[in-house]
Amino acid sequence: MSTRVLLLCAWSGPATVIVATIGFLIAGVLPFPLGPNSSVTEVVGFYSDSTRVAAGLVIAGLGVCLVFPLIALIGVYLVRMEGRTPILAFVQLITGAATGVVLLVPLLLMTAISFRPDRSPELTMTLNDISWLLFITPIGPFMIQNIAIGTAILRDQRGLLPRWVGYVNYWVAFLFVPDVLAFFFHSGPFAWRGIFVFWLAFVAYAAFLVVMGFTLRRAILDESKLDASEAVAV
Amino acid sequence: MTLDISADADLPEFLGGAPADSQRVRRPERAAGERRTPGEPGLWVFILGDMSMFGAFFVVLLWQRRAAPAQFAVSAQELLRPIGLVNTAVLLLSSYLVVSALWAQRSGGMRRATLSLVGALACGLGFGVLKVVEYLHVLGNGRAAPATDTFYTFYFVMTGVHLLHVLIGVVLLVAWMGVLRKGRAVTRFVEGSAVYWHMVDLLWVVIFTLLYLVCAA
Repeated sequence: MSTRVLLLCAWSGPATVIVATIGFLIAGVLPFPLGPNSSVTEVVGFYSDSTRVAAGLVIAGLGVCLVFPLIALIGVYLVRMEGRTPILAFVQLITGAATGVVLLVPLLLMTAISFRPDRSPELTMTLNDISWLLFITPIGPFMIQNIAIGTAILRDQRGLLPRWVGYVNYWVAFLFVPDVLAFFFHSGPFAWRGIFVFWLAFVAYAAFLVVMGFTLRRAILDESKLDASEAVAV
Repeated sequence: MTLDISADADLPEFLGGAPADSQRVRRPERAAGERRTPGEPGLWVFILGDMSMFGAFFVVLLWQRRAAPAQFAVSAQELLRPIGLVNTAVLLLSSYLVVSALWAQRSGGMRRATLSLVGALACGLGFGVLKVVEYLHVLGNGRAAPATDTFYTFYFVMTGVHLLHVLIGVVLLVAWMGVLRKGRAVTRFVEGSAVYWHMVDLLWVVIFTLLYLVCAA
């Protein structure tokens, strides 16, 4: 029964948030991440407990990958919305795959930093900068994905997903905009650890995953109920 | 031999499968005289959500200003207040023109609607030009260091994100003119674009007040 598989994919949205958050908490990325103005001692100290940090980051990395089934499910719905020429569905699949990768690679890099905590502190500092800037700034695929989803939902005449979900996607795309500022600031609200960069992006992406997961779940359940009642009517 | 795949309901529509059942429409029925939301209810999730992002900008700006109000005042006085004032007037005028275009379109005055929209577009573009002039002025006098001066950090981030909103608004107005050219009645998209434009205007009024007036005081 494919409804069960579809539901599993829908749940993988909220699951991404939960598993990644648990991993981040174990690694110590949450609740207070390293910032661009963290001292060398702080940065080296963060990676010094290498087993715990690596374990947490591995969990977070696996959690982030749970986004892929959700992206596939969104793709299935976009294909149905668009009919003969599902171009936005393809845009969503391509950019969605890229978002997963650009989230995963920096986490792997951070895990690799924890592999040799006794290396020269300067190298650790540089690698830490690279992983955080890679983690925060590549907003292009995210924004294109959100705009593709939002446009497909709003152009859909049949209302497979509620229209407000389309607008939420546009909003989330806007919330990613300040992330590029991470390149320009070393402290304050627009630095990579700042409220308008890390925290806004974290909340926006979590909201996207939860909203998409639950509204798709609702749509799947409604439809399977409809199928069941049609079967009875026949 | 002809390949008959039209009956294969399991294939996606774009691979030749049967179209999904068009009976499954979940469009809300609206009784006559019922109170209606401008645009549509879902649009307001975006409008209020987006305004809350700016709201967070405002709160953090004021919070940071508490630490060094004198320094903020010195920085803020470098801004060209006349340009800010003219830009406020320009956006308020554009909002009026958008309303008048909407009303004209509703009553079938397509020519008047087009003229109003052209005026609103000109206002939007004029706003952008004045903004760039001000950016050049602020950067040119060498006083403003966006990365170190907190006031200018907020100035460039807030006005920059707002300018992005203005540009998107301009694109929406152009698309609206496309609707007009086809002689269509007011659509959900048209109303939504008008609401969006008013949001952009409203946000600017607050940004102008905070950056040009409150911080300079």
